[in-house]
Amino acid sequence: MKRLLITALLIVSFALLGFAAEGTEEQLILEEPVAVTSAGQSPGALQFTVVAKMIELEYTFEKLLSVETVDISQFKTLVLVVGASGKGLGAANIDIEAEILRVKSLAEAAEESGVKVVICNLEGESRRGPSSDRIVTELAPFANAYFVKSDADLDGFFTAFSEEAGVPLATFEKTIDLKDVLAEYFGK
Amino acid sequence: MKKVVLLVTLIVFAFTASFATVTAPTVASSNGMVAAVDKYAAEVGAKILEMGGNAVDAAIAVSFALGVVEPYASGLGGEGYAVITMADGSKFAIDFRSAAPMAASYEALSELGLTISKANYTPKGACVPGVLAGIKEAWLLGATLPLADLIQPAIDLARNGFIVDETFAQTTSDKYELVLENGFDFLNEGFVWEVGSTFTNPQLAETLERIKEEGIDTFYSGSLADEIEEFMIENGGFMRKSDLEMYRAIVREPLHGTYRGYDFYVPHPPVSGPQFIAVLNTLENYNLPAMSWDDPLAVHIIQQALVLGDVDRRAYISDPEFYDLPYEAFMSKEFAKTRFMAIDLSQAFDPASYYDYQGDAYPFADGSSYEEVLLGALESVAANESGVEESPSTTHFSIVDKDGNAVAWTQTISSFFGTSFYFKGFFFNNEMANFASSYREGDVINLTGGMRPRTTICPTIIQKDGKVRWVIGTPGGGRIISTMVQLSVDLIDFNMPVDQAIRTPKFVGYTTYKDLRIEEGYPQTTLDFLEKVLGHQLNVYSYPDLFFGGPNLVSVEENGLMIGAGSIRRGGSASAPEF
Repeated sequence: MKRLLITALLIVSFALLGFAAEGTEEQLILEEPVAVTSAGQSPGALQFTVVAKMIELEYTFEKLLSVETVDISQFKTLVLVVGASGKGLGAANIDIEAEILRVKSLAEAAEESGVKVVICNLEGESRRGPSSDRIVTELAPFANAYFVKSDADLDGFFTAFSEEAGVPLATFEKTIDLKDVLAEYFGK
Repeated sequence: MKKVVLLVTLIVFAFTASFATVTAPTVASSNGMVAAVDKYAAEVGAKILEMGGNAVDAAIAVSFALGVVEPYASGLGGEGYAVITMADGSKFAIDFRSAAPMAASYEALSELGLTISKANYTPKGACVPGVLAGIKEAWLLGATLPLADLIQPAIDLARNGFIVDETFAQTTSDKYELVLENGFDFLNEGFVWEVGSTFTNPQLAETLERIKEEGIDTFYSGSLADEIEEFMIENGGFMRKSDLEMYRAIVREPLHGTYRGYDFYVPHPPVSGPQFIAVLNTLENYNLPAMSWDDPLAVHIIQQALVLGDVDRRAYISDPEFYDLPYEAFMSKEFAKTRFMAIDLSQAFDPASYYDYQGDAYPFADGSSYEEVLLGALESVAANESGVEESPSTTHFSIVDKDGNAVAWTQTISSFFGTSFYFKGFFFNNEMANFASSYREGDVINLTGGMRPRTTICPTIIQKDGKVRWVIGTPGGGRIISTMVQLSVDLIDFNMPVDQAIRTPKFVGYTTYKDLRIEEGYPQTTLDFLEKVLGHQLNVYSYPDLFFGGPNLVSVEENGLMIGAGSIRRGGSASAPEF
């Protein structure tokens, strides 16, 4: 009976310990200044800046931000807004391979400098195609968080990456609802 | 007063009653037919026919409605051209092409460190809009209903909104950066409009209400003209109220050409009617009916004829008020014989020397035969090449009513979103880019105040034995005449129904493109033959691609049945009234 009581006590103690550990797990907090760039040259990155202005986020936006032109360590957060657009890539005179190389180099540099990396899908299902998905897959190892328009994750594509890496996934219904996500993560 | 109340009551009833129009990508009916790029606009036209309006009434209502449902492609800030044939045999061509403001010149641009291309997405890129003047002329010539009734559906659409489709969302997304900078109020709280969302345009509803109450003249000489001038001064545009006051739509008889016994009624210069007829005249010399649409020789012949037509267009089409060019000789059967002779059936033209093939139409102006001309000395004319890369913007609609009145109407703001500057719910056109990019001695499209720039649009009505057979037209920039010619050949030579003629893959013959741009869908043997035997450099586009235009057609069969078909490349629809 005594042995049974001790076992039960141990189980309860471990359970409580686990609960405490989970309760004290730190939520990801993102900091400014923020570097924003497109990953695929769709208009999503520019739309991100409209939201960023709404919550007065301190950010720098360059469609073709690269490790050659910027010292990423001066930022605290790097937001990569994913959306492959043939027209956008054409207008930027860059192909998908060069684009992936550019954003991967940025993400690697960010990781080395301790800059948090956010992968954002702002245009929903319309930016879920082979090229967009490939960009996400290439960037996934560097992601600290995913901010995703919910109709882009109907098949659990982003959920799978988030769960596999144990990083948060925040979804939103409408583009403008990204404002609430940013406000929460940036403490605005 | 009682009469007014009754009238108002009737109008309200008319637009709240449950109409039974039939709308679909392809529709057949004997009651009249409207084919347009958008189902809402097509439905508006069918409702006007249902109310007892004729094809001209319906066309005016559709023109207003298209400015609401596709504000990025046409509207009050735009322009266009219409060809109308009435059942009584009268025919009209209404030129409501925009005109360069009087202050616009290469010198004025240069002083500001600008060129035409640099001014393209600024208010300086805008020419004087003509769409309202065109509507007024159409209404005076052939309408039967009060103008207020024809504006009202557009006001309702703008105020109550409509569901955004794929084309609307994609077009907004493609030009988002530009519109965010210059036309913020158009966007959905700063964001791209998404498929399925509801677009309303209260600013445009208010502008249309003003036009309804004050009349079209408010835009050209009234309070709206004052506000346009204020906007232009504030934003550095050339246009002034005096330009608007001076603007007139021009009414002429349409030009006439024939192809294998069919009568084609087409626009005058500066629109591409003569080029369209010239290419068909060339093709008439070939036995195309013995071939099929996917025969590589047919593709080769048509594409090479199109290239020749485009080379000649650059020399012979401009604003006839400013240049006296032999466009009638250009569209003569005799001149076409010389173009027929220029095409090598075994080898494609070398794109680097397209302009070496320019034909001399001048000797044909006096009606000389090709034998007489070619036995004389030929003199070459310097080639002019405009480097403007035209977008697949613009919009065309076709209407036939139950009495046989027909309208072919194409309207545009040039590029999608025009200048991208948004004013009272509409965008100003950027037609200035259709002038030569810089002054060139001898060029026929040098920028001149008051002049109308050249364009490739070509609304057309085709008749057989005096009766309307087809109403055709398409957007598509430099691809317009290619698509128009292929539609004509598909309908006449290959006996295709209108929906099949629209669906058939398209290709382009245009001097700006040094390759043969062709839509997927041709047999691999055809592509191989074009490339390996005839020497074309192929550039295959996916199918369907808006690049090749978005024609909306109506056919009238021998038994009087009308078949309308909307463009599959831009979500077009046909709509018919039900009485």
